[in-house]
Amino acid sequence: MRNAIPRRARVVIAAGTVALAGVALSACTGGQPDTSASGGTTEISWWAYGPDVSVVDQYLAAFNEEHPDIKVNFKLISQDTYDAVLRPALASNSGPDVFTEDPGARFEQFQSYGTDLTPAFEDALGSDWSSQLAQIGVDAFTKDGKLMAAPVGGDFAGTIWINQDLFTEYGQTPPTTFDEWVDVCAAFRSHDVGCFVQGAQQTDFDQDMFQAIADTIEPGLYSEAVAGDAAWDDPQLVQAFQAWGDTFTNGIMQDGALGITQFPDANNEFLAGKYAMVMMGTWYMQNTRTDILTAGMTAAGNTGAPFVAVPIQFPAAVEGGTPGGLFGNSGGGLAVSAKSAHKEAATTFATWLATAPAGQQVVADLMVNTPSLKGITPDFAALGLVAPDVQQPKIEWMIDEASKVTETRKLVDPDLEQALGTALTTIAAGDASPAQAAATLQQTAESLRG
Amino acid sequence: MTSVHRGTAAAHARAGRSVRSLRPQGYLWVLPALIVSAGILYYSIGYTGYISTLDWDGSSPAPEPVGFDNFVTLFGDPVFWAALQHTVLFFVVTFALQTFLGLLLAALLHSNIRWRGLYRVLVFVPVVIAPAFMAPVFRQIFAADGALNWVLEHIGLGFLTHSWLADSATALPVVMLIAVWGSTGVNFILYSAALGQIDPQIVEAARMDGAGGVRVFWSILLPSVRGTTLALAILTAIGSLKTFDIPYLVTNAGPNHATEFLGTYIYTQSIPLAHVGYGAALSVMLLVIAVIMALVLNLRRERGEA
Repeated sequence: MRNAIPRRARVVIAAGTVALAGVALSACTGGQPDTSASGGTTEISWWAYGPDVSVVDQYLAAFNEEHPDIKVNFKLISQDTYDAVLRPALASNSGPDVFTEDPGARFEQFQSYGTDLTPAFEDALGSDWSSQLAQIGVDAFTKDGKLMAAPVGGDFAGTIWINQDLFTEYGQTPPTTFDEWVDVCAAFRSHDVGCFVQGAQQTDFDQDMFQAIADTIEPGLYSEAVAGDAAWDDPQLVQAFQAWGDTFTNGIMQDGALGITQFPDANNEFLAGKYAMVMMGTWYMQNTRTDILTAGMTAAGNTGAPFVAVPIQFPAAVEGGTPGGLFGNSGGGLAVSAKSAHKEAATTFATWLATAPAGQQVVADLMVNTPSLKGITPDFAALGLVAPDVQQPKIEWMIDEASKVTETRKLVDPDLEQALGTALTTIAAGDASPAQAAATLQQTAESLRG
Repeated sequence: MTSVHRGTAAAHARAGRSVRSLRPQGYLWVLPALIVSAGILYYSIGYTGYISTLDWDGSSPAPEPVGFDNFVTLFGDPVFWAALQHTVLFFVVTFALQTFLGLLLAALLHSNIRWRGLYRVLVFVPVVIAPAFMAPVFRQIFAADGALNWVLEHIGLGFLTHSWLADSATALPVVMLIAVWGSTGVNFILYSAALGQIDPQIVEAARMDGAGGVRVFWSILLPSVRGTTLALAILTAIGSLKTFDIPYLVTNAGPNHATEFLGTYIYTQSIPLAHVGYGAALSVMLLVIAVIMALVLNLRRERGEA
């Protein structure tokens, strides 16, 4: 039987199919920035889950004043998808030259893809380089005696940030105990103003709040439990679980907290002026700057005047407890990929951001992290704080407290991290009592330790 | 046929064979697709099966062989069984609702009503909107202070307001509702095409015999689109097994695994927890379930045709 389609047409159809397949395949393989050297400028890629691009632009502007021959292409990846994107990229030959990793579980998973930065730090700061940096950052990114990521700054949680303008407007005083907190929330609610907003769906921040609660009851007990030196069903930790669960019934936690995320949902709600309090750490210092706060408020749909945001100590959860201190460790560290084709340039950038006074001054002034290099403080006069008289003392207090921190924030074991998150959301949902959840968590911790 | 004709025919046949011997065989045209399917797809399945026998984080150079330990763990994992339960429930509810709504809309818009084209577009638009784009919208709608509760309060149904996404009991129904919203358009389009194949004289004859709208729908339209319904059942079943985007983006598979599906659990185990071996075992189990489901539905379809 003769073919119904003429031969010429069949050839055209076949050629078109092959061409389409080629286009489809090339589309699947594209996407990586072309980092190359041209005209004396070396381009490197930097992948991170933060900070915001506006912050990164300031880092890079300062960097390029000293190193105009290195162009850094920044790629912001959302925290939720960061692991999924980074792991295959690092395993392939088309990953970033520099990538950010936070201490704890993520560092443990990705540090093998990095290079030892110790020689570069010795060149930059001398043989006693580690004594010139915040020890908590050096410890966080050292593996087998090698510095596998550059600690750029510290990341500390344990505070609550308040909208001072709302407190002033409704005649409220920042609470120092949970009982006061319940009363403050009742007062705000009576004026149809949100009190405290938490994105309890994101268990990282639930853990921050639980650690803060536990620290007001028995400082250090939480860290001991994480290390396996105390039991999760210790009576005082069960008390902490109880206090956590109570926030979902006593009016502190907003309705539907388990259904929203800390970022972007809770952050947006606070910046939109809908809530008076949010649990954030040192990374929220940036919201004392008029320019950064205005940008954040605009993104959250708030076109009003910048409000005064200040940190307060976490209220004592039980009678006789003490207001909470800070805990944390290094913020994201910059690792240089072992597969980078521009290792020298990448190392220069990572080292500069962590050790150069100019770089660390940018870190301090941006107020996303506390600086890693000792002796650097924000240049408050140039920062344009919304209310310097009110906010500067608070920021100085926060930085001073951060320098004394010994308790870490991030868990190293991702399974334990998930188990703790499950315990907290289970209690929050009322699906288990604090004692039950604590006992289950302890069993899990024991099984993970083998 | 004369000898001249036979000779001519024979000459044509010889010419045809010699020409055919110069033409590339048919399989060469399917070779690219064969390479993709056999080379990539089945290789990937095999490799996943191999990884499922390892305790591996996906990057370390020395994965530890553990035999079938991952599968033993899987069968004792309450989260796996919960995810499977959610998948089955998701399939049953979404298939029922999508079938009902899709067929109803197709039947309603089958007649020559005004602005039929616009209605068809409105029904189909949700299908083409990316879930990632809609997820923040749905999180806002179903938030405790979201649009749905606002509407309920303002129409005198304030007693129904709820933290839809924060409650384990309502989070899964919300996920199913979003899925139905996003997929009913597909059912609608396929049923519209199927209804167009029905001979209108059959319907006319039924009406002349006194059959009402419901009777025509139940006894004529529904049986006539049986093939489409079974095809949609297979597609919905496979889609249910692959469900990931809506529960991941809207509820993050929570609260407390209330909206955990096999897809989200595989992702959680493989990526943030770096239990790549266990994630692979879950993937193998998903494949087995998918094959069994497809076989069952296909057998049902063949019996229906017989």
